[in-house]
Amino acid sequence: MNFDDKVPIYYQIENHLYHEMIAGTLKPGEKLPSVRQLAVDVTANVNTVQRALSEMIAAGIIESKRGRGNFVTMEVEKIEQLKVKLVTAQLAQVYDQLHALNLSDEEIMTSLQHYIQQRGQSK
Amino acid sequence: MTDSLKMQNVTYKRGMKTILHDVTLTLAPGKIVGLLGENGAGKTTLMRTITGSAKSRGAIAVNGTSVEAERKRYVSFSEQLRGFTDNTKLSRIVAFYETVYADFENERFHEIADFLQLDLSLKLAALSKGMKEKLVIALTLARRTTLYLLDEPFSGIDSMSRKKIINSIIQWKPENATMVISDHYVSEIAPILDEIVVVKDQTIYTHRKADEVREEFHIGIEAYYESLYERGNDND
Repeated sequence: MNFDDKVPIYYQIENHLYHEMIAGTLKPGEKLPSVRQLAVDVTANVNTVQRALSEMIAAGIIESKRGRGNFVTMEVEKIEQLKVKLVTAQLAQVYDQLHALNLSDEEIMTSLQHYIQQRGQSK
Repeated sequence: MTDSLKMQNVTYKRGMKTILHDVTLTLAPGKIVGLLGENGAGKTTLMRTITGSAKSRGAIAVNGTSVEAERKRYVSFSEQLRGFTDNTKLSRIVAFYETVYADFENERFHEIADFLQLDLSLKLAALSKGMKEKLVIALTLARRTTLYLLDEPFSGIDSMSRKKIINSIIQWKPENATMVISDHYVSEIAPILDEIVVVKDQTIYTHRKADEVREEFHIGIEAYYESLYERGNDND
């Protein structure tokens, strides 16, 4: 995994795993690899991976079962909420940037629709 | 838990010249620590005071033990194999390590050597710089101990070898062992560091958690490290 050195590594690992859950590569109820295996997979420190997992456990997205390892939550709503949160964050960024160009809400809507149409045609 | 390393007021002089002055440093167990500093700042000397091969004033304890002969047992230092002639076969070097170090685990060595693709039938002279460094890493990690000191393991080797070495560190560092990696080229190892220690002006200039630096200053470890030198020039 290529890290951005300006952003805390545990946070980037957290986001990486969130993306996998939303994309469905990690499914509800699925067991996560061991901490060390995850560390090797993303090329990070075991402690940093543990910190990322602890944050996710605190958020209820991962369940830690004593002696059995870590599992993605079975509560699909939690993953849905996560998806909404991540999508909102991405949209906010785009919206703010377009707004900064002095586009009205209506213009943003039209440009977005236009863009999606064009994208669809070029595929 | 006992600190992996505790140095108190350590001073080292070579002739009239002070190399390290009043070094105080505590490292908790289970960490990977980047020891950063310019060439000649005293990083290697600091490691040598810990192993006892550089005689210093002050107190040094490894895993709670300050008696020098005993302390050495808890330290695995990446030696540069200078004692072996070019004609020595790698398997002889491995046998030597097995004899000298009680905590050297042969099976563990072979696992690491396999991972790093080392050919043990070769002679020392046949190794490229990267291969030699991989051998040093495998020998150092094959000991199961408390404190690992890797002295510039990445200097002058290609980026594929660097990645392999980094992965071997993640995989084989014992959970509670602490590892100190010295380097003057930070960016490649930054993601795997828990903490950074900067040696500057003959002493420990700063000691911080890596993610804390990112969180607090929103800059990378390399940029932070460089900023210490820019700031330092004003009040030197």
